[in-house]
Amino acid sequence: MPLRAKSAVLSALLLAVLLGIWHLATLPKGGPAQAVDPEYAKLMGLDKPKSDGLPTLAQLGGTIAKQLADPFYDAGSNDKGIGTQVAYSLGRVALGFVLAALVALPLGFAIGLSPLVHGALDPFIQVLKPISPLAWMPLALYTIKDSAVSSIFVIFICSVWPMLINTAHGVASVRRDWLNVARTLEAGTARTAFQVILPAAAPTILTGMRISMGIAWLVIVAAEMLVGNLGIGYFVWNEWNNLSLANVIFAILVIGVVGMVLDFLFGLAQRAVAWVE
Amino acid sequence: MSAPFLQVRGLTRRFAPGATPVFEGVGFSIERGEFVCVIGHSGCGKTTILNILAGLDAASAGEVVMDGREVSGPSLDRGVVFQGHALMPWLTVRGNIAFAVKSRWPDWPRARVDAHCQKYIDLVRLAGNEGKKPSELSGGMKQRVGIARAFAIQPKMLLLDEPFGALDALTRGAIQEELTAICAETRQTVFMITHDVDEAILLADKIMLMTNGPRARIAEVVVNTLPRSRTRHDVHHHPHYYRIRNHLVDFLVHRSRLLQEGRGEEAANEEGPRTVMPGLAGDDEAPAPRPALLVQVK
Amino acid sequence: MSLFDNPFDAGSRLACSCGRHASAAEHDAAAPDAEALSGQALQTAVMRALFPRDAERRRFLRAVGANTAMAAIASVFPLGALEAMAQEKGKVEKKALKVGFIPITCATPLIMSAPLGFYEKQGLDVTLVKTAGWALIRDKVMNKEYDASHLLAPMPLAISLGVGSGAMPMNVATIQNSNGQAITLAMKHKDNRDPRKWKGMKFAVPFEFSMHNFLLRYYVAEHGLAPDRDIQLRVVPPPEMVANLRAGNIDGYLGPDPFNQRAVYDQVGFIHLLTKELWDGHPCCSFGVRSEWVKENPNTFAALYRAVLNAAAMAASPGNRSTIANAIAPANYLNQPVPVLEQVLTGKYADGLGNVKNDPDRIGFDPVPWNALGVWILTQMKRWGYLKGDVKYKDIVDQVYLMTDAKKRMKEEGILAPADMPKKIVVMGKAFDAAKPDAYVAGFAIKRA
Ligand SMILES: Nc1ncnc2c1ncn2[C@@H]1O[C@H](COP(=O)(O)OP(=O)(O)OP(=O)(O)O)[C@@H](O)[C@H]1O
Ligand SMILES: [Mg+2]
Repeated sequence: MPLRAKSAVLSALLLAVLLGIWHLATLPKGGPAQAVDPEYAKLMGLDKPKSDGLPTLAQLGGTIAKQLADPFYDAGSNDKGIGTQVAYSLGRVALGFVLAALVALPLGFAIGLSPLVHGALDPFIQVLKPISPLAWMPLALYTIKDSAVSSIFVIFICSVWPMLINTAHGVASVRRDWLNVARTLEAGTARTAFQVILPAAAPTILTGMRISMGIAWLVIVAAEMLVGNLGIGYFVWNEWNNLSLANVIFAILVIGVVGMVLDFLFGLAQRAVAWVE
Repeated sequence: MSAPFLQVRGLTRRFAPGATPVFEGVGFSIERGEFVCVIGHSGCGKTTILNILAGLDAASAGEVVMDGREVSGPSLDRGVVFQGHALMPWLTVRGNIAFAVKSRWPDWPRARVDAHCQKYIDLVRLAGNEGKKPSELSGGMKQRVGIARAFAIQPKMLLLDEPFGALDALTRGAIQEELTAICAETRQTVFMITHDVDEAILLADKIMLMTNGPRARIAEVVVNTLPRSRTRHDVHHHPHYYRIRNHLVDFLVHRSRLLQEGRGEEAANEEGPRTVMPGLAGDDEAPAPRPALLVQVK
Repeated sequence: MSLFDNPFDAGSRLACSCGRHASAAEHDAAAPDAEALSGQALQTAVMRALFPRDAERRRFLRAVGANTAMAAIASVFPLGALEAMAQEKGKVEKKALKVGFIPITCATPLIMSAPLGFYEKQGLDVTLVKTAGWALIRDKVMNKEYDASHLLAPMPLAISLGVGSGAMPMNVATIQNSNGQAITLAMKHKDNRDPRKWKGMKFAVPFEFSMHNFLLRYYVAEHGLAPDRDIQLRVVPPPEMVANLRAGNIDGYLGPDPFNQRAVYDQVGFIHLLTKELWDGHPCCSFGVRSEWVKENPNTFAALYRAVLNAAAMAASPGNRSTIANAIAPANYLNQPVPVLEQVLTGKYADGLGNVKNDPDRIGFDPVPWNALGVWILTQMKRWGYLKGDVKYKDIVDQVYLMTDAKKRMKEEGILAPADMPKKIVVMGKAFDAAKPDAYVAGFAIKRA
C-alpha cells in the first residue's frame, strides 16, 4: 500500500476513534428517574429531550445540515446565516489585510534597501511586533471611534508585522549579483524594484503574507467576539450566549475549514512565485 | 599615437579609510578589440578591479577612462558576465536575455526583442532551451546564457569574471571555443579574470599578472605571441606555448609572493607594469615586437 | 418583519393594550379616566406633543399612572427638547437609528419595541445591535456609533463623571427595568446558604459600574464580609457566567436574567435569592442617550421615548409577559429558549432546588429615572472607592437625570411639579434618605477607606 493511502487509512481511523469517544461521552445518562413535580419538570424543560452540554453526534449532524441548508438566511440584523457571517468576516480580513499589504510592502522595501531606515524603524518594530493584536482593541475603539473600523485596524496591525518583516528580509537578501546585473543594464529604479527585487523577494514576501493571513483569520474571530456585529466570531459569541454548543462546534468547524482554504490558496500563490536556483 | 580604448591609471582601493589598500597604483591599458586576461591569486583584488571597470564599485584613488570618457557608474556600454552566473531564477532563458535587451532598447516591440534574443540564444547554441528556467540548465548552459545576455546588449566592452570557474574541463573547453569564435566575429574588446593559465593562453592577447594582496599591483603584462587562430587542440603544439606557460606558472608559484614582500624585482614604475614576451625568449626566428612597448625578460 | 402583530392595532390577537380585557372597549370602560383625574396638569403642550393622538395618550396614562408619566417626562427632557416638543407633530430629524443592547431581559422594552412595532409606529426605523459587553456599549455610545443604547443604570453617571472612561455628558431617558436580577450559586453550595460562611468564595458581576456589583457588595457587607477582602469579585460577561459556574471557576454570581434562570435550566446552579428581596424596586438598566444627541434630535428623541414608554407600559402588565417572551426569544434578540424567558418575565419559575416559585414582581418595568435612585448609586460608588473626595451627589444626579431643570421649566410652563417617588428606597430593611447621602455612606461599618 502506498504511503499516502496508509496515511489516509490512519486518518480515517483516528477520526472514527474520535467520533466514537464523542459518541460514548454524549450517551444519554439513564440515571434513576427522580420523582419530580411535573410542573417543576416542565419549567426545567425536562418534559422534552434537551441537550445537556456537548451535543450528540446526531444533534451535531442535524445542526450542520440545518445551517448548511440555508447558509444565507436573514432573520434580522442580529441573526443571519453562516454564509453571510463568513462573508462579513472575510470582508473584514480582506480589507485589513490589503491595507496592511499597502503599508508593509513599500515600508518593507524601504527597510530592506536602506540600512538607515532599517536602523531607524527597527526599535519600533521590535517593540510593536510582540503586542497581541487584541490589546490594541480598546485603544483603537477609543481613538478611531468606530468599532467596525477598529476591528479592521486590529486585522491590519496583526497582519502588518509578518509581511513587513518578511518583505524587509526578502528585499535585503536579494542577491547582490542580481542588483548588479540590473545596475549594469541601467535598469531604472522602478524596473529594478518591480522586475528584480520584487520577484526575487516574492517567495519570502508571500510566506509573510501566508503567516499574516493565518494570524488575521485567528484574530478576526476573537475581534468579532469582542466587538463585531455580524461575522463568524459574532456567530460563535451569539450561540455561546445561548449555550448552544452544537452551533459553536459547527462554527469552529467552519472556521477551521475556511482557514484551511485560505492557507491552501496562499500555498498556491506561493508556489506560483517560487523559484529554485 | 591615439589614446588606448581603455586607460586605467593609479587605481587604488581600500575598503576602510586608513586601511591597507587591497591594491594600489594599478594602471594598464586595453586597445579596441583586444582580449585581456588577468591572473592572480585568490583575494588579490581582481573582482574588485572588474567591478570598478564596470562602474559597480568606486576606486579610492585613480581613474578609469573608456573611449575618451571617465567611468563613473554602470553603463550599457560595458557588458558584465559575473563570477556566479547571476541569472534571475524566476525568468526563463529568453526572459533573462530579454530583460537585458529591453534595458538597452526600451522602445523595441516585443517581436523585435524576441528576434534579437533568439539570435544570441542561437549564438551560444542554446536553441530549444528558450523556455527553460535556469534551474533546469546545466552549469555550462547557465554560463552561456550569462554570456548571451552580456553580448546581446552589444556593449563596447565585455567584462568577464571567471566565467568558466565552476565548469568541468570538457564543458569549459567547448564554451571557451565558442567565446573565441564569438569574440573574433564581433571584434569585441574583452577584460576577463581567470585562474586558469591554459585558458588565459588560449583566449588572451595580453595576460596581466597581479601580485598577491594586500597592496597588490599588476606586476607584468605578458604578450601572447601565439597566433590568434589557436584551438585548444593545437595550442600546446606551438613552441611559444610552454615558455609562456612556464613564465605564468613561475609567476604564480614564486614571484607573486616575492613581489608582494618587496623582494626580487623592482617595484612598479610610474608608467605602469612592464610588458614581457616570454614566448619570444631564446627564439630568434620570432617576429620582432613593436620595440617601444617591450622589455625582454631577463 | 415582526413575528407578532402590533398589539395596538385593530384586529391584533391581543384584545386590549393591557391584555386583561376581552376588547379595547371593555378596557377603556374598566380603566379610570386618568386624564380626567389629573386635571389641568395634563392639559399641557408637552403631553400633547409627546402623544398627539388622544387614545394613545390615554392608554399610556392608564398604563403607568399620571404622576409617573409626568415625572418620567419631566425628568428627561432638556431645554431644547422641551421646546421642540411643544410644537405639534415635530418631524423626526433622524429616522434610521442604531440602538445597542446586551442580550438580557433588562432590555426587554427596547428590544420588544422592534418586533412588536413600537418603533415603527413612531415613524422610526430602528436597527437593534446586539453588543458583546458593557465596556463595548460604553465605547460605542461615546463613539457616537449608537444613537441610543441600553445601559446599566450606574453607567450614565459614571460616564458623565468620567469614572472608568473619558467624560461625556449623558442623559438617562428611562430606567428600563426594576428588580430582575438574582444571586445564583453553584449546585455544590445548595446547603451553604448563609452568606456569613462565604468567606473566600469567588463571585462574578457583569460590570464594575453595575447595580449587580453594588448590590452584591451591599449584601455580603451586611453579613459582615468585606467584599474587597473576604470574597473575590470578578467581572464576567453574562453569557459566560453559566459556563464559568459549570466549570467551577466561580461559586456564584449576581447577574442579570436570563442567565440566572438559564443556570437553573441547565442544572448547574440554583437561585439563592432574587435581588427584589434585597431592595424591591431597585433599578438595573437604563435607556441612555448623549445629551448632545438629544439637543440635535429633539423630535427623534421624543419619538424614541414614546416608543419605549409604550413598550414599558405594555411590559408592565403581567398578562403580556408571555407574548413578550416569545417576541424577544429569537436568535436575532436574546437567543434563548422561550421557557427560560417566560419564567423570568412571569415570575413563575423553578428555583433549581426542586421548588416552583411564584413572584410576579420578579422583574418590573418602571420607566422613571428618579433622582433618588441616582443618589443611591453614587453613595455606593463613594462607599466602595470608585469616587474619591467630596461627592456633590445632588448636583451630579441633577445633571444626568435632569429632573430639577425640567421641574423648573415645567413651573414656568404652568405645569404641576411631579410627585415624589412612589416607593421609598429601602435596601435590606434600611431606609435611604436621598437628602443625606453623606450620613448614609458614613453609616456603613464596612466600606473602603
Ligand atoms: N566589500 C568589501 N569589503 C571589505 N573587503 C572586501 C570587500 N570586497 C572585497 N574585499 C576584500 O578585497 C580583497 C579582494 O577581493 P576580490 O573579490 O577582488 O578578490 P579576487 O581577486 O576576485 O579573488 P577571487 O580570485 O577569489 O575571486 C579580498 O581580500 C577581500 O577580502
Ligand atoms: Mg573574484
